[in-house]
Amino acid sequence: MAQLKVNICGVDFKNPLIAASGTFGFGREYNELYDISVLGGISTKGMTLEPRTGNPVPRIAEGGSVILNAVGLQNPGVEHFIKSDLQFLKEKGVVIVANVAGKTFEDYGEICAKLDGIVDFVELNISCPNVKAGGMAFGVKPESIKKVTAVAKSSLKSTPLMVKLSPNVESIAVNAKAAQDGGADCISLINTLTGMVIDIERRRPLIANNTGGVSGAGIKPIAVRMVYEAAHAVDIPVIGMGGITCASDVVEFMMAGARAVQVGTANFSNAYAMPEILTNLNLWLDGHGIKDVNEIVGALQLN
Amino acid sequence: MKDVLATVKSNYAIAENIYMMTLTLSESVGEIHGGQFVNLSTGDNSQLLRRPLGVMKAEGDDVTVCYQLKGEGTRNLAKAEKGQKLKVLLPLGNGFNLGDKRNVAVIGGGVGIFPLIATVREYCGDKNFYSYIGFRNKNAVCLTDELEKSKKLTVVTDDGSYGKKGNAVDAYLDDAENIKADLIIACGPPVMLKVLKQKLTARGINTPCLVSLEERMGCGVGACLVCVCKKHDGENARVCKDGPVFDINEVEL
Repeated sequence: MAQLKVNICGVDFKNPLIAASGTFGFGREYNELYDISVLGGISTKGMTLEPRTGNPVPRIAEGGSVILNAVGLQNPGVEHFIKSDLQFLKEKGVVIVANVAGKTFEDYGEICAKLDGIVDFVELNISCPNVKAGGMAFGVKPESIKKVTAVAKSSLKSTPLMVKLSPNVESIAVNAKAAQDGGADCISLINTLTGMVIDIERRRPLIANNTGGVSGAGIKPIAVRMVYEAAHAVDIPVIGMGGITCASDVVEFMMAGARAVQVGTANFSNAYAMPEILTNLNLWLDGHGIKDVNEIVGALQLN
Repeated sequence: MKDVLATVKSNYAIAENIYMMTLTLSESVGEIHGGQFVNLSTGDNSQLLRRPLGVMKAEGDDVTVCYQLKGEGTRNLAKAEKGQKLKVLLPLGNGFNLGDKRNVAVIGGGVGIFPLIATVREYCGDKNFYSYIGFRNKNAVCLTDELEKSKKLTVVTDDGSYGKKGNAVDAYLDDAENIKADLIIACGPPVMLKVLKQKLTARGINTPCLVSLEERMGCGVGACLVCVCKKHDGENARVCKDGPVFDINEVEL
């Protein structure tokens, strides 16, 4: 058995596997399938200050080796999480990553203040539409990334800040640096790519929202490349995600520079994806005589 | 609820574009109730989503589902041969709870009949069922024999090519005063359920009514919030976890 513990921003994870936001709720449902305390961490469903009902249905569609979703941040609101779900996750002993979104810079500051000191990380979701920055997403331009990160950071006295980067950008390296400059303690990437699937008989997009976020195995090479570029642009830890399905995918992301990973869509294809990945990660490390998972971080050698 | 490996025992067409697949589960998953569903892999790894299919029959370790060919996923399922292994997550959702009701009207349209059949099978020993089943035409008619345990079975088609011409909702309404059902259970296309709700209201029939809804799903266990329906209180309900069976007065149709 290799040593699987990782430490990011002073927070100990049992292992580098974190359930990705939006695919795992607040952990309760998957806990009916297996004891989720085996996981390193859980990134919660994206939360906002007020409850939101999200987009119309259909909210999901499938492409080759990918899926698209447009849930639209349906969530019960941060207060509900604090009251009803936080204790459950604490008792599970997993690292709690509170994923948050807002409509304005002020929203981000306010929601971070509510979560400061009571969760292990706050993860900023900065890919949703923003009215105050001319309709552009917070997460596209380095200037707004830096600003929203700084606003969030100023509300967090003790909880480290993870900024989740969008891949729908000009330069992931520049944006990663912008998050670091804004005061991010670590970054996670990639969020979903924007896509569309068309029902050719009806001549309409399959998803009610027309476009959706593309995730799943098919986006993995893009994600690995971006994690590599981001990891080489910043000094803060990087958490990688995008299409991770099996243990060798985890190794790939970690070699590209990720200190931990998030697993999302794979949970839909295989409800036991994460515990299975964990078992197989151990086997892979043992099979390669690697005593500590941290040894593979950034082990990539370019041609 | 477990994700288990299942072996295809049989898989064949039972009507035009409708297939019936029986799976033998590698391990027991406990009781499966009528109205519950399974999340079945298509056998093609490039299709990342499972297909949610209502259980038609559960006997021992065998589970039977029926499905209509709709797209790539169901076409892949139709290709599955005897002996093939598929992953299946089950049982999911709440199912029909008939409680202490005695006389139950069953209203089904098209592929909506399958979870109703499972429910009639489950409860037929101690309840009286009155079944009203509609299909598009005679080529779509299937499994009506499964409902012959009903005290009364009426099969209708849109074009009159099998049984009487008409729809399942009207067939029930024509009979409503005779059978005096104390519960209605229904499953079928969204438009059928919508019309059912409108006509029950218009006729002043306040018999409790449970409907099973369908929606495109992600996880199937209630975590991803993809398959929601609107409730009258303004909140969303998760079709996979809070449903798929709802009180007709609880949800917007």
